[in-house]
Amino acid sequence: MIDIQGLSKHFDKVVAVDGISFKVNKGEIFGLLGENGAGKTTTLRMLATMLTPTSGTAKMAGFDIINEPEKVRSSIGILFGGESGLYDRLTAEENISYFGELNDMDRTRIKERIKELARIFNMEDYLKRRAGKLSKGMRQKVAFARAIIHDPDIMLFDEPTSGLDVSAIRDVHEFIKSCKAEGKTVIFSSHSMDEVDKLCDRVGVIHKGKLVADGTLDGIKSEYGDQDLENIFIRLVGGKSEA
Amino acid sequence: MKLKHVWIVFKKEVRDIIRDKRTIITSIFVPMILIPVMNMLVGGNVERLNRDITENITIALSESSNTEEIKNIVKNEIIKDYPNISLIEVDNPTQAISESKVRVVLDFEVDYSAKLNEGKPFVIKLIYDKSQTKSEGSLGFIWEAIDNFNRKTVEKRLNSYGISKDVLTPVVIEESNIASEEESAGSLLALIFPLLIVLLMSSGGIAPATDLVAGEKERNTLEPLLTTKPGRSSLLVGKYLTVTLFSFITVITTMVGVILGYIVNPSSFSMGSSTSITGVSIPPLALFLVIIIAMALGMTFSALQIALSTYAKSFKEAQTYLSFLMIGVMIPGYATMFMQPKEIPVYMFFVPVLNALSALKTVFGYSINYTYLFITLGSSVVYVIISLWLTSSLFKKEKYLFRS
Repeated sequence: MIDIQGLSKHFDKVVAVDGISFKVNKGEIFGLLGENGAGKTTTLRMLATMLTPTSGTAKMAGFDIINEPEKVRSSIGILFGGESGLYDRLTAEENISYFGELNDMDRTRIKERIKELARIFNMEDYLKRRAGKLSKGMRQKVAFARAIIHDPDIMLFDEPTSGLDVSAIRDVHEFIKSCKAEGKTVIFSSHSMDEVDKLCDRVGVIHKGKLVADGTLDGIKSEYGDQDLENIFIRLVGGKSEA
Repeated sequence: MKLKHVWIVFKKEVRDIIRDKRTIITSIFVPMILIPVMNMLVGGNVERLNRDITENITIALSESSNTEEIKNIVKNEIIKDYPNISLIEVDNPTQAISESKVRVVLDFEVDYSAKLNEGKPFVIKLIYDKSQTKSEGSLGFIWEAIDNFNRKTVEKRLNSYGISKDVLTPVVIEESNIASEEESAGSLLALIFPLLIVLLMSSGGIAPATDLVAGEKERNTLEPLLTTKPGRSSLLVGKYLTVTLFSFITVITTMVGVILGYIVNPSSFSMGSSTSITGVSIPPLALFLVIIIAMALGMTFSALQIALSTYAKSFKEAQTYLSFLMIGVMIPGYATMFMQPKEIPVYMFFVPVLNALSALKTVFGYSINYTYLFITLGSSVVYVIISLWLTSSLFKKEKYLFRS
């Protein structure tokens, strides 16, 4: 479903991502683990066609990120960490509907889908309220719905739990699990070992733009002879923070 | 680029901005209500001031001149033909000026009577307060009244010698204004309207342009938008059309405000002066061309505003850049404000901003040259294309779009 081949990104003289390659199978949750500045966000931005790779490419749901960016964007949903990025002056429903329209969904389908998502995320009571008036938790649910309004095959999560409280983190985890349950392929970037350990089928460790480990959680643990993912991570990145 | 996507973005941006009270207040309510109200207030004040200066002039005599004889001369000879000037009694004449009870105090030379009888000049000192507009403004009327007294006295003296007063007037001046009613009225319009329209066209899009790119970057709404199906060109054009629309709305609402102000109080337009703007009729083709030129200017500025908003790292930085852009309009605007439409050099019809100002001046100044108007239209279209190309290049550059 996702096939990344020698993907690199340079910003002037800075090498943010350095020839990484890995595959994610359909229905898998792949955790991209790395410190701040390791290249996780840049990788996800390239996969979402927001940034053009300096070299290498990737296929997302069979579409090439360089030659078929529009088709790639139709096949993906993305959720960023921190601020939910909603339009405060639009209602929750309008925020979700806008992304449906941009993804070429017809109005009837958008209405049906919003109804369905409102039920799933318990948003019925505040669909007509402006996003600026919603609580952080409510905004987060609207952002979930907006990301999957067009029912994408692939979901990209860029540190989605960053800055959230415990219950909000749990909501994000539940959402990621529900995406897997629906058969979506997920790449999930994080610097939290626990999160990756709890959610992911496979994991890739990225350090200074390079993929230094890639495999199933059990595979990596047995390869390094340690059941603690944190210990393995520290060994892989040399124990020095990049932040 | 797909028109369907452009339309979706445009619809959403317009809806979003319409719900932003700040933008609606600055784009619609302020120009539509505040400008005519201010014009009316300032115009009304100027008119009232002019009326006060002209109609209710109070004068007094200095303590040394306050005699029945001098009072008689002033009342019956100097201000007799000036019902708007009245001589009043005050205890302290100089203080009365400061207290605005009296505009001017007349102080006659001590031996004025002897000099008057001997046919020699005597001095009337006019005491006034330059810091008081009404006191200074009334001075001219006193001068005129005394000048009139001088002329009558000279006439009497010449008559006593049997000489006609005509010897004092070898030349009689007659004026003949060759400007048509339209041209006379147009000169006032050519002074105000070009600058007003250009300033509004270049400023109307500032709030939406800042909000739609730099604002989106700051609020983290741009990144999710960039992951949707439409290409960047569709997103950019949707935003660009929104900014352009609000530039036009600002101009239209302001012009409506100015016209409303004129209808309610015609003197508001000329700020209380007596200049009339009636009798203006611009040929339809010239009006059409000048509207297109003004719109092209608005389109150029909308593109530049989005370019600067894209380049800016933050909302505040965008506001700073855009205020600098305004200075770039104000300098040529004010520099050419008093330039006469017939004296505009040809090169100005090619230079950005100056071309629109010049075209507007010629049309409102009723000095229409269609060749120049078409040159302006051509150069304006070129600037629209250049600005759009620049903005499009910038909007596609990752290092600007993702800088923060």
